[in-house]
Amino acid sequence: MSQTAVNPTPRLLKPKVKQTLFLSLLSVFAAIWILPLIWMFSLAFSSNEALQVSTNSLTPVDPTAENLIAVIQGGLTPRWMLNSVIVTGFTTLFTLILSAMAGYAFARIPFRGKKIVYPLVLAGLMVPREAMFIPLFLMFAEADYHNTYEALMLPRIAAPLGVFIMTQFMAAIPMEIEEASRVDGASRWRTFWSVMMPMSVPAMTALGIFTYILTWNDFLWPLVSATQREMFTITTGLASLQGNFAQATELGSLMARGVVASLPLLILFFIFQKQLVRGISIGSGGK
Amino acid sequence: MSQKTIFSERRPEVPTAGNRFAKSVKKDLAGWGFIGPFMLIYLVFLVWPILQAIGLGFFKIDLLVITDRTFIGLQNYFRMFWGENMEWTLGNMWEWRIAGLLLLIPVFRGWRSKTLSTLESVVYSVSLVVIFAGVMGLAPGEGGRWNDSLFWLSFGNTVLFVLLSTPVIVGMGLLLAMALNRPGRWTGVLRTVFFAPYVLSVSVLTLIWAFLLNPQLGLIGTFLEFIGLEPISFLTSPTLAMPAIVIATLWWTVGFNVVLYLAGLQDIDKSLYEAAEIDGASFWQRFRDVTWPGLRRTTLLVMVLQIIASFQIFGQVFIMTRGGPNGATRVSIQHIYESAFRDFNLGYASAMSVFLFLVMIVFSVLQFRFSRDET
Repeated sequence: MSQTAVNPTPRLLKPKVKQTLFLSLLSVFAAIWILPLIWMFSLAFSSNEALQVSTNSLTPVDPTAENLIAVIQGGLTPRWMLNSVIVTGFTTLFTLILSAMAGYAFARIPFRGKKIVYPLVLAGLMVPREAMFIPLFLMFAEADYHNTYEALMLPRIAAPLGVFIMTQFMAAIPMEIEEASRVDGASRWRTFWSVMMPMSVPAMTALGIFTYILTWNDFLWPLVSATQREMFTITTGLASLQGNFAQATELGSLMARGVVASLPLLILFFIFQKQLVRGISIGSGGK
Repeated sequence: MSQKTIFSERRPEVPTAGNRFAKSVKKDLAGWGFIGPFMLIYLVFLVWPILQAIGLGFFKIDLLVITDRTFIGLQNYFRMFWGENMEWTLGNMWEWRIAGLLLLIPVFRGWRSKTLSTLESVVYSVSLVVIFAGVMGLAPGEGGRWNDSLFWLSFGNTVLFVLLSTPVIVGMGLLLAMALNRPGRWTGVLRTVFFAPYVLSVSVLTLIWAFLLNPQLGLIGTFLEFIGLEPISFLTSPTLAMPAIVIATLWWTVGFNVVLYLAGLQDIDKSLYEAAEIDGASFWQRFRDVTWPGLRRTTLLVMVLQIIASFQIFGQVFIMTRGGPNGATRVSIQHIYESAFRDFNLGYASAMSVFLFLVMIVFSVLQFRFSRDET
């Protein structure tokens, strides 16, 4: 790869020095970039009394886990976390299954009406969701369905991005693999379930992690639909606790809630970073 | 090209008429069976609400009695777009109108270079002229006022946010991607660092940044004091609140653009850089002649995605400033939200949604074109 590293002549050593210098500068910048996040963690693990004196430490002052424990044990935060896990989990699951099914049909089954339906689905990619929440609100209000998990999940599952990704991916799977299974007498469903689905795992992980993060972070729709405090998601719940920053006596526990709300995503992110990156570039049409 | 491979028929069957008919019906059933569950949800929860929004805009609907709807024709739109003593003047917002009309230049160039069809260029040109030369000359004259001046204030702030955030977040994305586009484990770690904030939710973002920006408690205020300046109360300053929200949004979402730019940089032919190296091209020359042209498509895509995302800004301002101070950060979605849920006026909120939808769809259509164009 880097010939500069192997080549010992001093003239070529110079770029290497430049490279190191550049990377150090970039690292300093990255350190500044991550500071706000570190600060949140450090405040979360500081005692509330110590924070009355100073909030500028980047390491916990008077380190304690009591904020975190208090958040997990009491109040509505555990309930909000549970709501988020349920809504996000099922939304991701249904998005994956329904998108894979539809993607399979669009990619592989020549049925009548496809040439009309597929463009209709693609057109849905252009709809800015945040601009359409009023009619959606009315629909659920008429059916008296607000403050339910279904209301939080269904509009997100209707997003056509997954179908687009799965259609693209399944169309690229070699025909021979599917034919072998069909010749063996397997039904369409069996072929889909035990051949095409396993083959699509890379695309499905990318789509899954992307959907999970977007759903977990949904703000406007849960804010509008889930108005009872017990039905808040962690994202809207955490927002409901902010607003009166001036009297920040509970700063430590507020930050602890922030930590609790972001840890599941940060952990997922560190495990599935590669897949998420793929999901973003396929999903945006960047390839 | 991809359309063709997706829809190609395979395996010609041994022909008898009845057999063939039975086969095709079976395929229809299978196809509709597989897309059925998704299509049902898609039609009910995505397509139907859009159609409804258009209809609801013509009604007066009270949040407290949602079934009680009165048809009021165009009154909601009249309230949005009109005011008392309206006048058309040449000088109203003339800077913005000239800037808007300058967009005719790229349209004309697109038409000349055949990236736009003649029909498209005519449509774009006519709409630009109508909007910027015509409609934007309208404003309340002496003693007049808009029916809903908050609508225009919010829309203006939204456009301001789009104009501030797009160059900053896209440009920073490009710079970071170029800096991070080298092999090695350490650059991998750095990429993770710059990307990590993207996975946080908006309420965690505001939790962190409202405190960071707090003049007494936050790190930024402390830092300003440390270098001998007065701590600034960003979020309560009419001029600095919006830029502060842009910075917070930059920190939050730049990773997304970095990802797309890194993918774009990977696609640039390495031999072009080698050739430039041999020619002794400087860093700037390599950027201008190889990197920038090679990223043309990516840049268009990233810009349009950023514009669409920025138009939908809501959470950051809603939690951090509630649109304040004095409406300086109030944005369109917040105005829609509050018209519906504070003023109980769902019909009017619907009409405004339709307006915002139409503005954004222009950019969505552009995105659709850029991302599907193979060249």
